[in-house]
Amino acid sequence: MFKSSGAVLVYEDSNLTPIPMVTVMFDNNTEEVAPEGSPFQTNTLVIGGGIAGIQASLEIANAGHKVYLVEKTGTIGGYMATFDKTFPTLDCAACILTPKMVEVGQNPNIKLLTCSEVTSIDGTSGDYHVKILVKARYVNLATCIGCGTCAEKCPVRVQSEFDAATTMRKAVYIPFPQAVPNKYLIDSEHCTYLQAKKCGVCAKVCPVPDCINYQEQDEELEITVGNIIISTGFKPFDAARDDRFGYGKFPNVVTSLEFERVVNASGPSGGNIFLRTQDKKGNWIFQPEGTKPESIAIIHCIGSRDEHFNKYCSKVCCMYSLKLAHLVVEKLPDAKVYEYFIDIRAFGKGYEEFYKRIEQEGVHLIRGRTAKVEQKNDKLVLRSEDIEGGKIIAQEVDMVILAVGLEPRSDAEHLANMAGISRGDDGWFKELNYVTDSTGTSQQGILIAGFCQGPKDIPDTVVQASAAASRVLRNILKSSGETV
Amino acid sequence: MERVDANLINEVNKLGKGGWNECFHCGTCTATCALTDEGLIFPRLSYNYLQMGLKDSLASSVEPWLCYYCGNCSEKCPRDANPAETMMILRRYLTSVYDWTGLSRKFYTSHWWELIAVLVIGLSMVLLLGVFNPNGIVTELNSEGGVKINEMFPVHWVHIGDWIMAAAIGGLLISNVIRMWYLVIYKDKTVRVPISAYFTSFKAVSEAAVYFATQKRFSKCDDKKYWAAHWVLMSGYVSLFTMIVLFLPWFQTERIHAWYHPQRLLGYYATFALFYGLFFFLIGRIRKQREIFKHSHLTDWFFVVMLFLTTLSGILLHIFRINGMPSEAYYSYIIHIAVLVPMLVIEVPFSKWAHLAYRPLAKYFSELKKSAPRQMSTHG
Repeated sequence: MFKSSGAVLVYEDSNLTPIPMVTVMFDNNTEEVAPEGSPFQTNTLVIGGGIAGIQASLEIANAGHKVYLVEKTGTIGGYMATFDKTFPTLDCAACILTPKMVEVGQNPNIKLLTCSEVTSIDGTSGDYHVKILVKARYVNLATCIGCGTCAEKCPVRVQSEFDAATTMRKAVYIPFPQAVPNKYLIDSEHCTYLQAKKCGVCAKVCPVPDCINYQEQDEELEITVGNIIISTGFKPFDAARDDRFGYGKFPNVVTSLEFERVVNASGPSGGNIFLRTQDKKGNWIFQPEGTKPESIAIIHCIGSRDEHFNKYCSKVCCMYSLKLAHLVVEKLPDAKVYEYFIDIRAFGKGYEEFYKRIEQEGVHLIRGRTAKVEQKNDKLVLRSEDIEGGKIIAQEVDMVILAVGLEPRSDAEHLANMAGISRGDDGWFKELNYVTDSTGTSQQGILIAGFCQGPKDIPDTVVQASAAASRVLRNILKSSGETV
Repeated sequence: MERVDANLINEVNKLGKGGWNECFHCGTCTATCALTDEGLIFPRLSYNYLQMGLKDSLASSVEPWLCYYCGNCSEKCPRDANPAETMMILRRYLTSVYDWTGLSRKFYTSHWWELIAVLVIGLSMVLLLGVFNPNGIVTELNSEGGVKINEMFPVHWVHIGDWIMAAAIGGLLISNVIRMWYLVIYKDKTVRVPISAYFTSFKAVSEAAVYFATQKRFSKCDDKKYWAAHWVLMSGYVSLFTMIVLFLPWFQTERIHAWYHPQRLLGYYATFALFYGLFFFLIGRIRKQREIFKHSHLTDWFFVVMLFLTTLSGILLHIFRINGMPSEAYYSYIIHIAVLVPMLVIEVPFSKWAHLAYRPLAKYFSELKKSAPRQMSTHG
């Protein structure tokens, strides 16, 4: 029992150790082998490198067991890394997440596979055979020094996924400055050399010999693991699907994820809230300088609690909307902020208090969902029923934030089929028992954690990830004959 | 203080299937509606009355009459609570509440009551015109080759019948309108309309009159087609009704006027208008593509079918008469009356067509209430 407390110490100390510049992957030779006579593998596969995957991986790795963490994009961190603040404590999201990301990068027990996807899962509990497609990064993870010269010279501009398309990145890029691994990669879809053998500038300017290699091929990796944790998260609802709110039509109707980047200091306008304007090429973008909006409206439940889209409540939107309202008040004290809601669901510790605080900050909270947004000259006009006031209102504002709901990822069905687990009517992975076993699935040794099991906020996600990790550790201990 | 009536929902349930349990009061319907305006919040507020069992508030509300069923609210409702159909059901409910005889509720809730009433009135018309009529079929034609219709059905007798029917229908409708006034204005303790307001509020009177003639509010809905079809149908119906009740001796003639004579032109226009409107709504109700046509109550079909039969027998009667076909004209006449009379007697005071009085009056009453001093807020 007391041995594990040593692991906790490592966990705490690791924040202080510097980021090694070379690869942090563990050597295959050090992989744990199953105890003799037992087919049970003690390695664990974690699918998805958001906060849930990070938390689960660290819990297991810090208990002394090996983890493969598979992440589809070029960095771990997930959506949490894109948020400005977390509710209700208003912690800087990056400040609490990036130390954990760094720890994942450093932990010798974690083999991090970015740009990778699971392609098949076979076997049974304790002995899963998993195939992973490791896509070519075209930049050598071991030798890249992260200097950024390649991106500086790259002529191709692509919308940044990390900044929710509010900024542009290059075809060779680092997803964001604190990415883990802190290495560049080439977006093969947009790189003109990989597409048409034109350019090749990045390889020429790279100071490290042979670091950029256009000939790199995708690789298939086959691993054997005892347990799998699925923590693939969600995708935001596409606001253009509900055409009443003018998203994609009116430039200053923005989604909450876009706005998270706008208010963020590392976002498109350095954390200043400006209206979206047209650049020389006619694209609507947020620029470093601009006009401050005088009024902002936030509309709740976009794509959620709606028979036409997702019937369920996405659970986090009320609270993040209140948080966004607070951030507006903080940055633009003179601006008027309106929130149009059906109900305010302030369901957690400190949440109701947070709601009251926002109300006291002068945000106009109006019961009644907006039915449509129209543009009149430079203003956006929202038509809503003020249910408590018993009247119809046409509110003119400069900017509208759509609090988009969250839905299962498009590949959730594919993954469920591979893993042999089921999904509920709403598309989330089905837990063994909603009340008593929310991390277990119908497949022993396959666990689920985070938003992919159902709507939940970051604290709940972290708790569930730890719970899934403890289940994995229990399975490992049981199989090795130790008493739990 | 208003008492909660737990049975209200069951009463309304019998008049159609609405989604009152689904509504979670987000206000999307109200904000989507092109007709809702200051002080007249619908459709959402009606759900409040239904869910809470506020029978008196519901009975005194005029909002359902202000809705013209464009269906936008039902399309956008995030809960599939179908507010547009709920408004339709509440119009049936209010019609039955205004009607003191209780017949309206019977016709709306029982197919048998409606069917038997139609048959009884229709058959008595057949008896009156076909069996007890001493004249019978007059085969002899007049000098122009037309049927001697006034020898078969003397116009002055028929005209007296018209007046009796019009008086009965009007009397019933007016008594129901008085009850509507009692429920909407008198019983609503939150607002006191001074007597003088009924006469001095010129705006309210003129607006109600304009709505009656043009259904201007209907044309505010996004799709103008429905308003146009409804207006055409109504214009045909009103012009025929006027000619039959007020000017029958001018309309039912043995003389065959030239085709451009106003009597014939008006008749043809009315027939065209009725057929156009009927086919528009009939095809819509069969196809069920638009919200407005998705839910058809039996009384909707009754009305459409009977109006169709009336129009068809009416134009056939005209054709048979001018082409000198006495027995065909004779039977068409009887069928025409045997369908027309029960349709008017049932529809106008007790059913769907009562809206011709309730809609403009609802607008009038709401204007009066708006201008009157408020005792306390009604919105909860």
